Amino acid sequence: MGHRDYFHLVATKSSTKNTPPGFARHGLTDEQLVAILRTMLMHRRLETRGFELNRQGKIPFASAGEGHEAVQAGAAMAFVRGKDILVPYYRDLGLDLGVGLRPVEVLLSLFGRADDHSGGRQFPHHYASKQLGIYTISSVLAAQLPHAVGAAFAMKYRNERDRAVLTTVGDGATSEGEWHESMNFAAVHKLPIVFLCENNEWAISTPLDKQMANPNIWQRAAGYGMPGVVVDGFDPIACYAATKDAMDRARSGGGPTLIEAKCYRFLAHTTDDDDRTYRSREEVETRRKDDPVPKFERLLVEAGILSAEGLEALKRSVLAEANEATDQAEAMPYPLPEALYEGVYADDFQPWR
Amino acid sequence: MAKTETKAKSLDRHGLTDEQLRAIFRNMLLQRQLDNRGFQLNRQGKVPFALGSEGHEALQAGAAMAFERGKDILAPYYRDLGLAIGIGLTPYEIMLSLFARAADHNGGRQFPNHYSSKHAGLMSFSSILAAHIPHAVGAAYAMKYRGEGGRAVLVTCGDGTTSEGEWHESMNFAAIHKLPLVMLVENNGWAISTPIEHQMAQPEIWKRAAGYGMPGKRFNGLDPIETYATVNEALQRARSGGGPTIVEGTCFRFLAHSTDDNDLTYRTKEMVLEQRKHDPVPAFEQTLLDAGVMSAADIEAMRKDVLRETNDATDKAEAMPYPQASDLYTHLYEGAWQPWQ
Repeated sequence: MGHRDYFHLVATKSSTKNTPPGFARHGLTDEQLVAILRTMLMHRRLETRGFELNRQGKIPFASAGEGHEAVQAGAAMAFVRGKDILVPYYRDLGLDLGVGLRPVEVLLSLFGRADDHSGGRQFPHHYASKQLGIYTISSVLAAQLPHAVGAAFAMKYRNERDRAVLTTVGDGATSEGEWHESMNFAAVHKLPIVFLCENNEWAISTPLDKQMANPNIWQRAAGYGMPGVVVDGFDPIACYAATKDAMDRARSGGGPTLIEAKCYRFLAHTTDDDDRTYRSREEVETRRKDDPVPKFERLLVEAGILSAEGLEALKRSVLAEANEATDQAEAMPYPLPEALYEGVYADDFQPWR
Repeated sequence: MAKTETKAKSLDRHGLTDEQLRAIFRNMLLQRQLDNRGFQLNRQGKVPFALGSEGHEALQAGAAMAFERGKDILAPYYRDLGLAIGIGLTPYEIMLSLFARAADHNGGRQFPNHYSSKHAGLMSFSSILAAHIPHAVGAAYAMKYRGEGGRAVLVTCGDGTTSEGEWHESMNFAAIHKLPLVMLVENNGWAISTPIEHQMAQPEIWKRAAGYGMPGKRFNGLDPIETYATVNEALQRARSGGGPTIVEGTCFRFLAHSTDDNDLTYRTKEMVLEQRKHDPVPAFEQTLLDAGVMSAADIEAMRKDVLRETNDATDKAEAMPYPQASDLYTHLYEGAWQPWQ
């Protein structure tokens, strides 16, 4: 079911006029606003599910994007399906959902099942979908950026207008040499690409002040000769607007943009990390007060875009879909041992034989 | 000639004495002479390779004057002849490197123009662009870690190297840890055959410093005094705990990249001749003449002295023996351990 179908189930009315003062929707319709909220709710639901399944011993690993819901759902709304390419990093569940990945596809990845797009061979949360334009990625920080830049270079080289690449990293990956080389190359060749940095202030256990001396990553853009933008990563509409503006510029030949979305990571880095060893509960609880998910729920209810009942219905539909996806994926078979060599070489060539 | 102030007219000398100004000029003359000698010896078939730094003389001689011998560390790149001699390397040592003789500091094993001197504080380096910058940052980190105040690392690179990931990683790390480091970029506008506009979209490298949270400054690298003043200020800040700086000197590369490059395949002779009008060597000669720091006769005598020293160094180095084949395995493992035996 696409976001259009849900809209008619839960929205109070189909209007773009019904907004309280001070609420800038940047051209987003009620339908799109509800779709953004649904992506955020599904994002959080599937994150929680990943941790639950890991603690139940059913899946080996999950990473967590709680606190990134707004930036990812907002940015995904600026992605044009069927045209743009997404090169995400490992904490981008919301972006993947936002560009069209279905919860069952997410669960197939987490369960490592044969029907997963990577045949159950990729790391959990490393989604890929040729159909949706989502690149498969490496866990190695910043390794995806030269690939993203290569895709953008191909678009320019082939003169494919009205297309752009959206690529993301966390704050830690900006310290990698590949980040620098990618930014510079994209700027030199004016490539159709948007670099979205989701700055959650923690690179696993490394806090921002040990990662960089100037915490404003967007300010590096000027050095490369491209626009740099900073945006509140807890505000999905602001994130949409900044990404839309940058993607439109990229698609029309205006070159790359660096966007820094300031957000926070509420959970540990992954199911294999205990963040109590390096940051206080007080810090996390303080930041939870700005949790973007309930904040955006309130905004849509107060704006009259969603009723209280509509919101409840939306949450129930998200839970139902997450449950169905879990059951469906869990029931699927693992890859067979004899499939190990498939997709490695073309045809029957097996040099190890 | 021993006085420190002369009838200098409109010469902003930034505290440099007459003696220091003459030393800078002598370095520039020597640099050019040795560069030419390298190319001559290569064309004569006597040395395998040489790199020219013509156009960088002012920048390197000025920067070297800000270096404190016996305290600071220099991590240069391969086009830094003037910096090497400016901090104390002798022409004879340069020639030993070019001729790859056994008495060279690296035993004749390094690439020509890749000098090193433990005594002078000059780190040995790789030809791989930017590979030496993490090493330089490591040296600066060691200074901070050991609490060695009053010392700093001067590290250099060309404009092309700033596109390398190691450059970025090094700048970021140095800024985070407020290391005593000065990143001197010698921007001559050419990375071998790649012009600056194909190297970066925004040609002012110093502007990247703000992104890292450190000061950045651009200066005219054809002016040795301005170079000295800029590098000196940055080194002093580094030595006193003020952290790193990116300083960018603009200059020209008058010669081909190296003796193995023909620059006329990617730029015209006219472009170079146009740049030659801004040659820093005759320009600084005129400055010193105008300021009365040197007379025409002084300059003539200095030229003769530089040529004589270059000739002596050439003859002496050429007469030295090559490394012995039997020395091939020395300095690889400690003691007599030879795992391949």
